[in-house]
Amino acid sequence: MDHCEVLSKKVIEFKPPVYEQRYYFVKNLVNQHGHKKIADLGFGDATLLWMLKYHRCVQYLVGVDIAAKPFEWGGGRLSPGVGSYIIPRELDLTITLYRGSAVQKDSRLCGFDLITCIELIEHLDSEDLAKFPEVVFGYFSPGMVVISTPNSEFNPLFPASTFRDPDHRFEWNRKQFQMWALDVAKLYHYSVEFSGVGDPPAGAEHVGYCTQIGVFQKNRAKPTESSISEPEEHVYEVVSFLWEVYTTSYPSLQQSKYFRFTLSIEAVKSIDLMKSRFLRGPRRKEGDRVVPLGSCTPQDGLTEAQRAEIEQSPKPYSVGEKFYVPLERLLAYPKVNLLVAGSTEKLRTVLAEGLRLNGDQTAVQVELVDYRTQRLFDEHLVSPALES
Amino acid sequence: MSGRARVRARGLARSPSAAEAGRTCAPPSRSRSPSPSPTSVDTGNNEASSTSSFVGTSRMSQSCKYVVSSGDTGCTFTERGGKIRQDFKDLSVCTREKLAHVRDCKRGSSGVPVKLVANLFSLDLPLDWQLYQYHVAYVPDIESRRLRIALLYSHKALSNKAKAFDGAILFLSQKLEAKVTELSSETSRGNTVKMTITLTGELPASSPVCTQVFSIIFRKILKKLAMYQIGRNFYKPSEPVEIPQHKLSLWPGFAISVSQFESRLLFTADVSYKVLRNETVLEFMAGICQETGMSCFTQMCEKQLLGLVVLTRYNNKTYRIDDIDWSVKPTHTFRKKDGTEVTYVDYYKQQYDITLSDLNQPVLVSLLKSKRNDSTEARVAHLIPELCFLTGLTRQATTDFQLMKAVAGETRLSPMGRQQRLARLADDIQRNKDARFELESWGLHFGCQMSLTGRVLPSEKILMQDHVCQPGSAAEWSKDMRNCKILSAQSLNKWLIICSNRDEKVTEDFLHCLRRVGSSMGFNVDYPKIIKVQENPAAFLSALQRHVDPNVQLVMCILPSNQKSYYDSIKKYLSSVCPVPSQCALTRTLNKQGMVMSIATKIAMQMACKLGGELWAVEIPLKSLMVVGIDVCKDEFNKGMVVVGFVASINPGITRWFSRCILQRTTTDVADCLKVFMTGALNRWHRHNCSLPARVVVYRDGVGDGQLQTLLEYEVPQLLSSVTEASSNTSAKLSVIVVRKKCTPRFFTEMNRSVQNPPLGTVVDSEATRPEWYDFYLISQAAGQGTVTPTHYNVIYDDNGLKPDHMQRLTFKLCHLYYNWPGLISIPAPCQYAHKLTFLVAQNIHKEPSLELANSLFYL
Repeated sequence: MDHCEVLSKKVIEFKPPVYEQRYYFVKNLVNQHGHKKIADLGFGDATLLWMLKYHRCVQYLVGVDIAAKPFEWGGGRLSPGVGSYIIPRELDLTITLYRGSAVQKDSRLCGFDLITCIELIEHLDSEDLAKFPEVVFGYFSPGMVVISTPNSEFNPLFPASTFRDPDHRFEWNRKQFQMWALDVAKLYHYSVEFSGVGDPPAGAEHVGYCTQIGVFQKNRAKPTESSISEPEEHVYEVVSFLWEVYTTSYPSLQQSKYFRFTLSIEAVKSIDLMKSRFLRGPRRKEGDRVVPLGSCTPQDGLTEAQRAEIEQSPKPYSVGEKFYVPLERLLAYPKVNLLVAGSTEKLRTVLAEGLRLNGDQTAVQVELVDYRTQRLFDEHLVSPALES
Repeated sequence: MSGRARVRARGLARSPSAAEAGRTCAPPSRSRSPSPSPTSVDTGNNEASSTSSFVGTSRMSQSCKYVVSSGDTGCTFTERGGKIRQDFKDLSVCTREKLAHVRDCKRGSSGVPVKLVANLFSLDLPLDWQLYQYHVAYVPDIESRRLRIALLYSHKALSNKAKAFDGAILFLSQKLEAKVTELSSETSRGNTVKMTITLTGELPASSPVCTQVFSIIFRKILKKLAMYQIGRNFYKPSEPVEIPQHKLSLWPGFAISVSQFESRLLFTADVSYKVLRNETVLEFMAGICQETGMSCFTQMCEKQLLGLVVLTRYNNKTYRIDDIDWSVKPTHTFRKKDGTEVTYVDYYKQQYDITLSDLNQPVLVSLLKSKRNDSTEARVAHLIPELCFLTGLTRQATTDFQLMKAVAGETRLSPMGRQQRLARLADDIQRNKDARFELESWGLHFGCQMSLTGRVLPSEKILMQDHVCQPGSAAEWSKDMRNCKILSAQSLNKWLIICSNRDEKVTEDFLHCLRRVGSSMGFNVDYPKIIKVQENPAAFLSALQRHVDPNVQLVMCILPSNQKSYYDSIKKYLSSVCPVPSQCALTRTLNKQGMVMSIATKIAMQMACKLGGELWAVEIPLKSLMVVGIDVCKDEFNKGMVVVGFVASINPGITRWFSRCILQRTTTDVADCLKVFMTGALNRWHRHNCSLPARVVVYRDGVGDGQLQTLLEYEVPQLLSSVTEASSNTSAKLSVIVVRKKCTPRFFTEMNRSVQNPPLGTVVDSEATRPEWYDFYLISQAAGQGTVTPTHYNVIYDDNGLKPDHMQRLTFKLCHLYYNWPGLISIPAPCQYAHKLTFLVAQNIHKEPSLELANSLFYL
């Protein structure tokens, strides 16, 4: 589905390029509505899917393209990057690509929040175009559909007078597109709004946007949409025409191993900062404990209120070579608190798996040694194995 | 000009007109081909950057096939004459052909044969296999590499062929019908482009170019197995080992390579771990701030961060931090490629849905490697500290004993564990459909794991003064030599002990033990003068200044803490200002219950050596042989300086040593001063033996990848001219051997369905060696836990013409002679001495030690 603009720089230059504007148009919609399940019909080189995978709200991304090739599509940039393993997403994300026609009724595309058809319909022959509304609006029936297509009124501004791409079967003017869209919306109970990207140059405002876009929103019979959407997913009879060519899932905090590690790391970061202040600040011996006299709260990255809350929680202390941080103290740190939703019990259970807790399970225990001043040079005890 | 200044200067030198070529402050994540190309080309799986780039202006579904891409492999043909991967460069240095005595056979004969398996896998090719190299020209010429690749790959004539193409040079495993093939393709703008494909070479599988192409094929295969390339290696982040206490994750993976070994093409894989710190650069900076305060915050950040490699959160790229720009804030704007201006905050929000929390953080600056040679424009990337992670361990972290123990505990793999990982990798490669298809299309067959035969060299006897002992285990013979007298020792009569006021008792107790063990080993230790001082480094130093005179034989310092400043100031003063051998020990060590005797024994032996004593020897059949060890390392503080250490034996028994060291200003690790050192050593030998040595064997350690040719052209002649000029008639015969502790082959012995480390003294001189070199592997150290790494020896120059067997055995003998360890070590003793010397200078002294100390092992 080649939808590139045959633009001559001399005539019109879009900033940012108009293809990018189309993708940003979709991204803005996703930001506004917080779509969870999105399908892109005619995903092409998957740039839109790639851009959408960064949205925190998105949990399920599907692409369909008639020309998706399995082997050549290692999925490259759709796969989780190394960074996704260091900072996992909050929510799961699965990306699946299918090869097949966008006008086939495949039950795996039902129940989506958003289906995008960016520069797709103008590639469809009349038969497919006729089937398109019934399949996408009638059968897939997502919460929202975005359709973009060239606005032929804009074409005279380009040097070539023909279609923008040899594979285009038609290019509609605004009236043609809007009539088609309104009919479809009416038939399948959607409301539609028209917009576009690629502003016309000064003096040619009458031609409208370079790309015209219709945003279709499903009319809801009942306002309690969320309660319906869940069971709805299971209603469909499984029909699969599409061939899955690629699938990947992302690490996320919904998976226990990533949650545990992320929480432990967050706790250790707070503990390390406390320890470093503890070691550098004044302290006093109370029984077998050494307690800090001053504040052990970091200055940076916290609001006044957050610092005050931390100050009110039980203080860390040391016994011998060990340093103890009460769980209550850790829970006062906003990032830790957010991860466990304020639950000491959850904090205790999860930390116990990766770190060491004290006897009565009320505090995390770490070594007091400050490695930055440590140095190993004990010359006569170093065996050559250690040196090299 | 400092590196930092250079970065600045280059950044500023940008002229506005050059803005087209390499935009500076665009976050690197959005580099796009310069011209709005009508076809979209996804450079596919081979290029890390592809994960992050907006490619193409269209959504053409025909995505491009794999592309031979650069990564950091630096293949000749991808980078068009750019950097060749350094270790490939060494492989084209054919030293063996000049050595007549090993041209036909370089194998030894003594010892007991042992069956080994290696981490090598055979790669089979049809006998007549060839790689066809083509040049591709475009009319009209097309600048965009991506477009060139897309046009060629989309052409039907090539669609079903295995190919690798970088935009100019095309490799095929099947020959095209004609020598010159004309193809034409159409861009989606409708322009016709003519491509002329001309055959330029037919390469046999043994060609180094093929090696590079094979490496690219395997890189692609490992990516199919869900591994990520970081640097040169491949890792699996989905199976991390986590060490939350130290904020670390370890990603298991492999270092792989494909190359031509002695008789065939082999795939090598070794288990490797990537250490990732789960801490952003911003958090790291906050830590520094809390520790040092604001006054020297910026300097400390620069000191600790510049030169480190970071990984960004949003793409798969790594960057080196070349500078920190404190004047740029996330709220500042930068110009995107399309000309629009956007703030960093908005950019990351829009693009990646990431909200930056700290709006006052500076930006990190990284110089981007330019992919094209012709581009003179230095491109830099601005990175936000909050979105960058440190990879690897910082220097400070490596001194953290607890941390290193935790890392070692997780990464140390038994031979069996390692073998299982390898087997799984091989299995994955063989089973994966895509991997198999890729290999088959090139005509490659991934075969089985190599087994080969090594030999276990006969064990050595340890010669003491009046006793010859055959150690129970060559790994350590301290028990065997208990109550034996050491070969020779100077009596210690006039010496000092400096200790803190509090440690008098410990010192006395220790001294008692020391004198007792000394006398039993034949080392007379008289009662010293004991000086008690305050507990601070300055007090120790001033005591040295007051009490040490040239008649003092040795100074011992009992240190109350392991603060670096104690050790550094003492060693600096006594190595160069007032050269007297010195011995440091920690109070804590001397206090260790139940270990006092063994500690005293070790210290007594070190002290004997520091006075020029000899501890033990092995039989050396060659009667007039000098052995030399050379090592090179970088100065810890001054990165522009390297420390070269040179240690030569000065008696036929190889028990006395002459040690020299120099700091030289050079960026390469190549020693400049060898002629002077060699001549000094020969003079010293002559003074002791009234003749010159008949043979000199030099072991050179600390050689980096790609330096072999330089060594041959630059170092060997220095050594040779010194040896030749030393005598008017027959000069000594010279051999030069490059020692490498880090080599990828690993060997295991199979024992009752399990695998183990090979026995000590195992030599491998076939199959895993290289046809172009006179080389062998020797396992001379015991690995208590984990898998032993063999040491690789490459004889690059050899006038001596010793039989390979003798060369191997001599090398093995020399691994017994390191006086700091009563047991075998992984490299010949002279290399370990040179290493110890350079390490002391690079870490603590930062100055040339005095020549007066050259006759003793003062640095042990």
